Amino acid sequence: MKLIVEGVKKKFYKKEVLKGIDFTFEQGKIYGLLGRNGAGKTTFFNCLNEDIKIDEGKFIIEKDGENRRLNISDIGYVVSTPNVPEFLTGREFLKFFLEINEKTIQNPKTIDEYFDFMKIDKEDRDKLLKDYSHGMKNKMQMLINIIAKPNILLLDEPLTSLDVVVAEEMKQMLKEIKKDHIIIFSTHIMELALSLCDEIVILSNGTLEEINRDNLDNSEIKDKIIETLKDETVIQ
Amino acid sequence: MFETFIQSFRLRNAYKVNTVIYSIKQIPIIKRILPDALYKSKALKIIGTIISIIWELCSIFLGKLIYVAAVIFGMMSLYEANQTGAFITIFTFLTIAGAMMNTYMFNPTKDKYYAMFIMRMDAKKYTLSNYTYSIIKVIIGFMPFTILFGLMSNINLGICILMPFYVASAKIMFSTYSLWKYKKSGITINENKPIKFIWGIVGICLILAYGLPYIGITIPQLGFAIIGILAVIIGLICIWYIKNFDQYREMYKEILTDDNINVQKNAQDIAKENVHKQIDISEGITSNKKGFKYFNDLFVKRHSKILLKSAKRTAAISLFIIAIVIFATQLNGEFRTKVNELLMNSLPYFVFVMYLINRGQVITQAMFMNCDHSMLTYSFYKTPKSILLLFKERIKSIVFVNLLPAIVIGLGLPTILYFTGGTDNIYNYLILFVSIISMSVFFSVHHLVLYYLLQPYNISSETKSTTYSIASFLTYLVCYYMLQVKLPTTYFGIGTILFAVLYSVVSLFIAYKLAPKTFRIRV
Repeated sequence: MKLIVEGVKKKFYKKEVLKGIDFTFEQGKIYGLLGRNGAGKTTFFNCLNEDIKIDEGKFIIEKDGENRRLNISDIGYVVSTPNVPEFLTGREFLKFFLEINEKTIQNPKTIDEYFDFMKIDKEDRDKLLKDYSHGMKNKMQMLINIIAKPNILLLDEPLTSLDVVVAEEMKQMLKEIKKDHIIIFSTHIMELALSLCDEIVILSNGTLEEINRDNLDNSEIKDKIIETLKDETVIQ
Repeated sequence: MFETFIQSFRLRNAYKVNTVIYSIKQIPIIKRILPDALYKSKALKIIGTIISIIWELCSIFLGKLIYVAAVIFGMMSLYEANQTGAFITIFTFLTIAGAMMNTYMFNPTKDKYYAMFIMRMDAKKYTLSNYTYSIIKVIIGFMPFTILFGLMSNINLGICILMPFYVASAKIMFSTYSLWKYKKSGITINENKPIKFIWGIVGICLILAYGLPYIGITIPQLGFAIIGILAVIIGLICIWYIKNFDQYREMYKEILTDDNINVQKNAQDIAKENVHKQIDISEGITSNKKGFKYFNDLFVKRHSKILLKSAKRTAAISLFIIAIVIFATQLNGEFRTKVNELLMNSLPYFVFVMYLINRGQVITQAMFMNCDHSMLTYSFYKTPKSILLLFKERIKSIVFVNLLPAIVIGLGLPTILYFTGGTDNIYNYLILFVSIISMSVFFSVHHLVLYYLLQPYNISSETKSTTYSIASFLTYLVCYYMLQVKLPTTYFGIGTILFAVLYSVVSLFIAYKLAPKTFRIRV
């Protein structure tokens, strides 16, 4: 499976944020999306997630040799500040999610198996989500997004605010599930991008550019990334 | 000391000027024209400074003018007792209450926080210089009005001049007491959150201020002269204490907590917190439904504070009012005729009533902040199928909740009509009932459809849609206008019913067609 981005453009008032993005993402890889503040990473994600309409271009899914338009159910979007319905308990949220996606979830597990998989403690499962810690809310959000096995998983700075143990758990989990997905991971932490991601993609001057990692050691890649990022002319 | 004052004054001024410019920039159309560089503009800074100076002058004089003219002089003329004494008595006791409620020193404000903790100004110098300024403002601000209104009440000029000093002294004494209390026990006072003891004294002062003249007891001029001079002497001693107090920084660290001044919070965060508080955390709330029905059912149950409970309360109050009206009409024949006439001609009046008791807007706001705000980031929740399934559940609950008080009022009006002499046209009973019910349904549908079509909030729960604001305002305006309309109930009732049915059908149809596209978080 591939996600093909073709000539995607987006303007806000007069400011052109995405200036014609052409790129192909492939299944089985984690893409590290780097870019300076205001470069348009979140805008790009919002466009993929249909939160904003794009001005030009299209997103296409190529699967088994057939092309079709990307639609909303292809996407799982994990935002940096975790969003969970505060008035439900963890268990209720999961139950609701499993019920309405009955038909699309293959080989569903029991609710507790999912909690075990995400390492959410037994005593927390029946608490209201409003009383969950930041890290636990994040786990919940991640869990909901991966159960349905969306083709594309967008992660916006998901590990930054987690403690080291949870962050490590999440990293392992992403590596485990990557074979079934296209994972695009936006971050400001270069070390994280280098250790977790298979490809490094830079959003700069409104376009996407892949950093070629062949035959380069980590410090050479870092220099190259910094070099590319410095080229960014329009900074908010 | 003077330098500290000038610095702090400039800091406060910069902050006020930027606030003025910021507010100007919030106006929808102007926002796009004005660039961010505005904050740099010299001309605007000057205009802002002028506005802020005018504001400062108003704060010195205007408040005191209103206070002396309305609260003291105005009230005084309602009494039959001797006017001079009444003025002095009200003034004396209100000043004591005011000294506790309005201290300057114990008012947690942002400018104090910025100056002492962000800019690291010397706490003692800052406090003393600004406190001196605020006390001078009190004296200068009161002087013209105690003289003017005092002389008009035949008070001796000397007493009139003493009055502002008495006010200043009272404030100084209370501040000294508060400082002393902090030094002794570590308890800080926040004038915006008075403790019970202070409420008690304030209450007693109010009773004495307005009660004593009522029963004919007033303070004579000589009495006030003694009280006033005594206060000034004690006040002078207190100044010495305030000047030598050395724990201002520690004390303000306690007073200026995040909680008191909301430094990090803006209005939206506070609104969000309030909505979050509405979640009912009591255990044992469950549901045996499935899917979206389950989801909506739990939402409704966990928000019963603003949904079912509030509807029940409105219904109970309506029932009570209806009972009283029926009772009153049986006692008084004239009232009976009037009410009958009202019911036959002023049904439009109830459009406004039904608008006021409809919980639609509060409910949709809670839906967003406690639910859709987070759920709309999940793609499964945004599929057309999900949006419509939930819309259907929500419209049922919202209509149902609002129907409860509507049924009480809908049955109540024909009952009142019956007890006030009835009507020639028997159908009027039915029309009253059905039109009230259809108004209720109309408002429920209206609020939910507006929410789904215009979804006005962004991720930080700010209202981003001008269209939504205008639509809400127009709704209010139309309903308010209805208060003036007088039409025979038969025609207006039938009109309302037809309109409500038509509107509901059409808008539900449009929402069904468009909501899957429009129901998104605003970016």
